[in-house]
Amino acid sequence: MGSVLALSSGPGHQNWPFSTDPPPSRWNSHPAHWDSPPRWERRDGRLPNPGSFHSLHRSCKDVFPQQIEGVKMILNKTLSSFFKVSHMLHLSAVSPSYYRFHVEHLQSDDDSKDKDAPALIGEMDSSGSLNAHALLHVTERVRARTVFQTQQSQFVTWQFETEFRGNDFTAAVTVANPDVLRESVILVAHFLQSVSSGLVLGGELVYHRGRSEEGGILTLAGQYSRPNWVATLNAGKGGAHASYYHRANKQIQVGVEFEASTRTQETTTSFGYQMELPEANMVFRGMINSRCIIGGVLEKRLTPLPATLMMGAFVNHRGDKLQVGLGVTVG
Amino acid sequence: MGSVLAASSPNPPPPATGGTAASGLTVPPGFGMPSVSPVISPTGAALGQQETENPLPNPGAFDECHRKCKEVFPMQMEGVRLVVNKGLSNHFQVNHNVMLSTMGDSTYRFGATYVGSKQTGPAELFPVMVGDMDNSGSLNAQIIHQITKRIRSKVAFQTQQNKFVNWQGDAEFRGEDFTATVTLGNPDVLVGSGIVVTHYLQSITPALALGGELVYHHRPGEEGTVMSFVGRYTGNNYIATLTLGSAGAHASYYHKANDQLQVGVELEASSRMQDTSVSFGYQLDMPKANLLFKGSIDSNWVVGATLEKKLLPLPLSLVLCTFLNHSKNKFQCGFGATIG
Repeated sequence: MGSVLALSSGPGHQNWPFSTDPPPSRWNSHPAHWDSPPRWERRDGRLPNPGSFHSLHRSCKDVFPQQIEGVKMILNKTLSSFFKVSHMLHLSAVSPSYYRFHVEHLQSDDDSKDKDAPALIGEMDSSGSLNAHALLHVTERVRARTVFQTQQSQFVTWQFETEFRGNDFTAAVTVANPDVLRESVILVAHFLQSVSSGLVLGGELVYHRGRSEEGGILTLAGQYSRPNWVATLNAGKGGAHASYYHRANKQIQVGVEFEASTRTQETTTSFGYQMELPEANMVFRGMINSRCIIGGVLEKRLTPLPATLMMGAFVNHRGDKLQVGLGVTVG
Repeated sequence: MGSVLAASSPNPPPPATGGTAASGLTVPPGFGMPSVSPVISPTGAALGQQETENPLPNPGAFDECHRKCKEVFPMQMEGVRLVVNKGLSNHFQVNHNVMLSTMGDSTYRFGATYVGSKQTGPAELFPVMVGDMDNSGSLNAQIIHQITKRIRSKVAFQTQQNKFVNWQGDAEFRGEDFTATVTLGNPDVLVGSGIVVTHYLQSITPALALGGELVYHHRPGEEGTVMSFVGRYTGNNYIATLTLGSAGAHASYYHKANDQLQVGVELEASSRMQDTSVSFGYQLDMPKANLLFKGSIDSNWVVGATLEKKLLPLPLSLVLCTFLNHSKNKFQCGFGATIG
């Protein structure tokens, strides 16, 4: 049995697993190659591995356009088969402009060859903020990940995660921000089990402890997937998060998301769609929100050049604010 | 001798600043007069200086002196802009403008242009009536008419919501080698205020034109005049203009390096605001790529650029614009699409 990562990508993700796009800037998500194939892939009649807990809502979230503001110029350079470098310059009208340098040391696509080579990803800002990930395949089934994030000179996140991928289940334990001096720690345990060919059930237990308080939150998760759609639900004491992803045809994908939080006492419903026109080298993502936010981002590959142009605008009707963004990615 | 306007010039006349619709309308920009082909005279060496054999060319309108240099500079834009132009007939054109702004209010503007049937030159038809109305009720209206062969007149109104802000009328007389214009601005009989502006521009040699401007303003209790002089020298591929007056100085130099590159340098000094600024701008035109790029850098540490690209199979044109003010650390970007 080969590694699940070697499976070919399903109809759900065109640019998975080894996308040439720049990695997502959402720092609580794993890099693209860490995820498992879409849930509806089946081999040998056995239940597939459900993947990691963080990527349960990923297919729906990928449909939504990313907030874009100001001018962003990204230059990607592949120095060798495992070393990639990227320079990003962001000129912004509302926040300070910055330059970011990103470097990746990854082994090549075929995982089964060099399983013990770590993947190292680091990013440094012009203000000194650092973001570093290290992924290590300890054995074929066990993976370890370390994340460090600083805001200028102060450490904001330091976490250590271990994940075990069984035949049809995934279990992960994360230790986040362990602080001996302040006696605080956050422990997160995830468990996902493939119950049937389309159904995955699991849960997340978060235990946080500080000097004066401690508490635990249990969230249950379920995901049902069919070849054309995926429905996911997370529900617990901290709130609920439901998402529905539907692939209408080869060009149009649609996502609906509902989030409710008991801490902030608010709910948000979002509707997003993605339209791909590969003949025109164009991808358009649009979204509308219950917070009266409407946004759209157009991405076009300028084919003779290895460049991609991104144009987007977000309007918040309630606050009457408009945000416009342009981006050019070279390489 | 035929009309001086029909004289062939070695440099092709520039396109009308507002863009020319395919049906042959000249669409004037916001408030300028429709641009007339500037008569860039051939170098004086081949022609004699005698007035009887080769009369001096008409120097053009007074307002156009600094125009060629100003056209090289990019126009600052922010937010998202959508413009839809629709030609309803040979005489009538309509445009819709939606501007979503990141600072300030978003507006919708509806404009209409009517061009009459009196033809005075290639692609010049009169009367021209241009109007546009804002979603808040602000109106801009202009009527331009060629009254006789040599006299052209313009009436313009501008309101801010329902209050009239600007109302003016002017008459321009184009002689053989001079242009004289009288403008009456905001005349108010009830209050007893008004502004009278007279312009005079005379061709001294085929390359040199000199002129002056006299502004007289009157309000109950005060009146005053401002006077300024203008000199313009036109070379083979350059135009140098200087305006000097009690309100300040304005010098501009325009240079056409080749078919693709045009460069402009401008110096403005204002005695009222007590400051000067120098700007350098260039325009790169690549008709084969349907691309127009304008860049500028300023002595106020403002750097800006505009990129315009025609997406050809569609009648669609895309504009990207960014301006960065280094001294105030402010950044502005915007893009727009023009359909039709």
